[in-house]
Amino acid sequence: MRPRKALFWLALAVPAALMIADLARGALAMDLLHPTGELSLRLMVVALLPGPLIEVFGPNRFLRGWVAIRRNLGVAAFGYGALHLVFYAIDMGALAPIIAEFALPAIWTGWLGFAFMLAAAAISTNRAMAALGRRRWKRIQQGVYAAFILALLHWALLDRAWGPSLIHLAPVALAWALRFAVQFRRRLNRRKVA
Amino acid sequence: MIRKSLAVMAATAALLSASPALADGDVQCNSGPQAKWQKIDKLKKKAWLEGWKVQKLQVEGDCYEVYAQTESGMAIEAFFHPVTLEKLVVFRRGSEIYRKQGFTG
Repeated sequence: MRPRKALFWLALAVPAALMIADLARGALAMDLLHPTGELSLRLMVVALLPGPLIEVFGPNRFLRGWVAIRRNLGVAAFGYGALHLVFYAIDMGALAPIIAEFALPAIWTGWLGFAFMLAAAAISTNRAMAALGRRRWKRIQQGVYAAFILALLHWALLDRAWGPSLIHLAPVALAWALRFAVQFRRRLNRRKVA
Repeated sequence: MIRKSLAVMAATAALLSASPALADGDVQCNSGPQAKWQKIDKLKKKAWLEGWKVQKLQVEGDCYEVYAQTESGMAIEAFFHPVTLEKLVVFRRGSEIYRKQGFTG
């Protein structure tokens, strides 16, 4: 398991390494905002999918494996979110303009989304899970849904276009629709039996 | 519970399907054939006159787009007409802060 996990993290680190190399070779930090943000969002999607899917299709081997690496995917999403912020800071070049634009809708949605991700990532260790108790831990992790929606808004507002955000929302919305459908059918069946 | 969630989903869908009319990322300059466009580098002087620090010049659809920082450090995206080099619309992080009178593209 250990070497496999190391390999997994190495693979997740490759895009970051390439982006930092790009910057070192003179790319504009501004041009790295989009790739980091999008990758973070996609990792979030991949982390959010197995939960509802396992409820729909049952715990098969594939989905169980996916759930097992879910926390890693979430932490990676946070990592790219953090890199996104670093590139933003480099692009802006000073604290004053960052503060000056904080209140714009396209910007505060990004910050707030990042705060939710930070909270979830900060308690991602086994020790934190044990210390908080399953229930409270889960509640904080569910903040990732807020982060996800805020990130979608952040993107749509910045680019003045809803298409890309909706495309990234679709798989998560579909998984949840399936989950609701399955729950609904189960409840109906139970009622019939009673 | 299920009815409520269905209602929420329907409302969200309605909201999202209504929004394309509200916001569409593409600015349209109606600038005609590219052969008649002026050189994009001429925008450097225009930006300098505005007091901006240019970060990037590019063609966006049928417009010229300038990414710059203003004197006060504001990050902006400005769209210029490629033929007249007129400043048409300026966005600050997706919020419109300038629009030339009568420009609707």
